[in-house]
Amino acid sequence: MWRNTPTAFGLTTRLLHWLMAGLIVALLVLGTVLVRIQPDLSTLWLYGLHKTLGLCALVLAFARLVWHRISPPPAPTGPPNQWANRAARAAHVALYLLMLAIPLSGWIASSATGLDVVIFGQITLPAIAPTSEALENAGFAAHSVLTKLLMALLLTHIAGATLRGLKHDGTLRRITKGS
Amino acid sequence: MRHLLMLLTLCAGPVWAAPASYSLQPEASVVGFETDFGSDKITGQMPITRADLTLDFKNVSASRVAVTLDAAHADASFPFAAQAMKGPKVLDSKDFPQISFVSTSVKSKGDGAEVTGKVTIRGVTKPMVMQAMIWRQKGTEAGDLSHLTIRLTGAVNRSDFGAVGWSDMVGDQVRLDILARIVRAE
Repeated sequence: MWRNTPTAFGLTTRLLHWLMAGLIVALLVLGTVLVRIQPDLSTLWLYGLHKTLGLCALVLAFARLVWHRISPPPAPTGPPNQWANRAARAAHVALYLLMLAIPLSGWIASSATGLDVVIFGQITLPAIAPTSEALENAGFAAHSVLTKLLMALLLTHIAGATLRGLKHDGTLRRITKGS
Repeated sequence: MRHLLMLLTLCAGPVWAAPASYSLQPEASVVGFETDFGSDKITGQMPITRADLTLDFKNVSASRVAVTLDAAHADASFPFAAQAMKGPKVLDSKDFPQISFVSTSVKSKGDGAEVTGKVTIRGVTKPMVMQAMIWRQKGTEAGDLSHLTIRLTGAVNRSDFGAVGWSDMVGDQVRLDILARIVRAE
């Protein structure tokens, strides 16, 4: 039930997938709001929330990678060399890289500001970069560009999943109901 | 409240013929500041390291003020603001732990005095004008000028000193409100 099988996604992988999906959507919406608003005391907590959710996303991304070493996910449906499967494979690799790189770039940029990175309103994360304006600017620029790339890839991911759903090839059912 | 001119009137007499030297009561003195943060304000305080004052109530222009502030131990109304303020993009208090002000001229103005001087922040020195009011401290007799309270108000634009960090979020003008309690040197 919890573990993946050669043909089915176990509950752990499905929970990780949908939890991550929810987190990513929340983070994208929150991040987009944060770059548009004028910060003041009433909105300061939103920055903390973004960092908290972002760190959760980073931990979940690592957890998925570890879990998939323990319990490998099933191969895509259909012939492995089909162009759609090769594209899906590439998109998944890119999604994983971005799920690691985006929170890390945010953490690096936040550390480079010299301000404490506080999550859950009380836990101060260690600074993973020295205080540096150049690093701060580069980090936030990377955070922004990689986020746009993630948005594009997510649309591709959703479009691909929708196409498979229209074909009724079982892919959508596997990630929702398991098999 | 008794202001400077009242003091001048009250205290005219031989005892005030000479400028008197005053020292700070640091525990009873505070440098307050505030700046805009969106629709809110960031407020904070900075300890005074040293203040040397020579006050001449008969000849106000002979008065001198020199104050050094401990920027490295400044505090602000929320932790991020204090960190941001002391960090390299604003006060850079690691490299510039002190802020200093030295008067170049003092003249009577209205109820108080106008103190013109030079302020040094982040190693950059710029002219600054502060408004001063002075009172006897509570519990002192009329005419007893041994314990005084001085309030100095003024403003600086942090961009003048290269303290431009977070200028998209935090206001440029920093308003200062210094309340210094001083004791005449015996």
